[in-house]
Amino acid sequence: MMDTAFRRVIVIGYGKVTGEVLQHVCEKQEEYGYSLEFIEHEVHPFSVTEKICEEEGIPFHRITDKKELAAFFDKIKEGTLIISASNNFLFPASLVEKEHITIINFHNALLPEYPGRNAPSWVIYMGEKETGITWHYVTAGVDEGNIIVQKRCAVGEDVKAYELAGKLMDLAGEAFRERFADVMAACVEAKEQGFDAGRRMYRSYEVPSDGFFRLTDRPEDIYRLLRSVDYGKNDIFPPMRTMMDGREVKVLRYRKVTPDKRREEEGVLYLPLGKEALLKIKYSSV
Amino acid sequence: MEEKILQILEEHCIEALDYDGDSMMEDGIIDSFTVINVVSDLEDEFDIEIDAKYVVAENFKNKEAIVALVQRLLDE
Repeated sequence: MMDTAFRRVIVIGYGKVTGEVLQHVCEKQEEYGYSLEFIEHEVHPFSVTEKICEEEGIPFHRITDKKELAAFFDKIKEGTLIISASNNFLFPASLVEKEHITIINFHNALLPEYPGRNAPSWVIYMGEKETGITWHYVTAGVDEGNIIVQKRCAVGEDVKAYELAGKLMDLAGEAFRERFADVMAACVEAKEQGFDAGRRMYRSYEVPSDGFFRLTDRPEDIYRLLRSVDYGKNDIFPPMRTMMDGREVKVLRYRKVTPDKRREEEGVLYLPLGKEALLKIKYSSV
Repeated sequence: MEEKILQILEEHCIEALDYDGDSMMEDGIIDSFTVINVVSDLEDEFDIEIDAKYVVAENFKNKEAIVALVQRLLDE
């Protein structure tokens, strides 16, 4: 049996990375002898975690109410590792400060840069060439704890927010598997973030460019904005808006196309994107 | 129409073409990120709007379900 102070492991989150984390801690359960549970706090239409729990016999708790969830955690008495992967529940200070509880969290940016929500969007919008992931210990401040591990990746010039988010989840799964044993053995040489007290925290209600662009903006900037808020049908951000012929319109969808794909259609405009491409925008009245 | 849909699936998730079960998502054939790409291409190809309410596992459980979804939207 591997040595660890954790008698209980709880995974909380949703999405691809949560499934990968859950599978890994399930595989390692026998080696360490901990009990394992999963908490779904936010319901996702394509979640696979319930199926994994069913197949592996992992207790599954759906706790969507924040107070109920805080009360659940408050009852923990034994040495426990809480793994937060794509989770938006903010752990209360009273829980974080408990000595028998350790919480680690996956953040989809290279902390201390881009703390808070929707980091992949802000990374694309700001035109970053590189980003990455951070696993860190959770403290009372949001995304402030010491760093366990980071991994980097390039931000492609056509990448959309959901594609980058997916790539970051893959990286997070890889980093988690690499460092899980160190976390369990409490031998991580965690690195302080060293951020300024006034660093910008990105809030869930903030939208790149306030959700608006002008048709006179550089097409490259418009394309970057549209990619930065593109999560497919997940309405994380409202549709982007612009003014056209004195009326406000919203973007329905967009695509980078070659000039030979240009078709004159109602409700579609094309903007030149460099020398060999066009930005096709389909729009409708607000 | 079906042929176009299969082409889109082939581009994003070739495994979906041979899948004969009824839950591509749970069986790890397709993930939510691939669904976004497929939806985007279907909208473009057929000039339809696939509302978020239709983007659920049931409508992407296999290729037949996707074809049925597009047919339904084209008929509306």
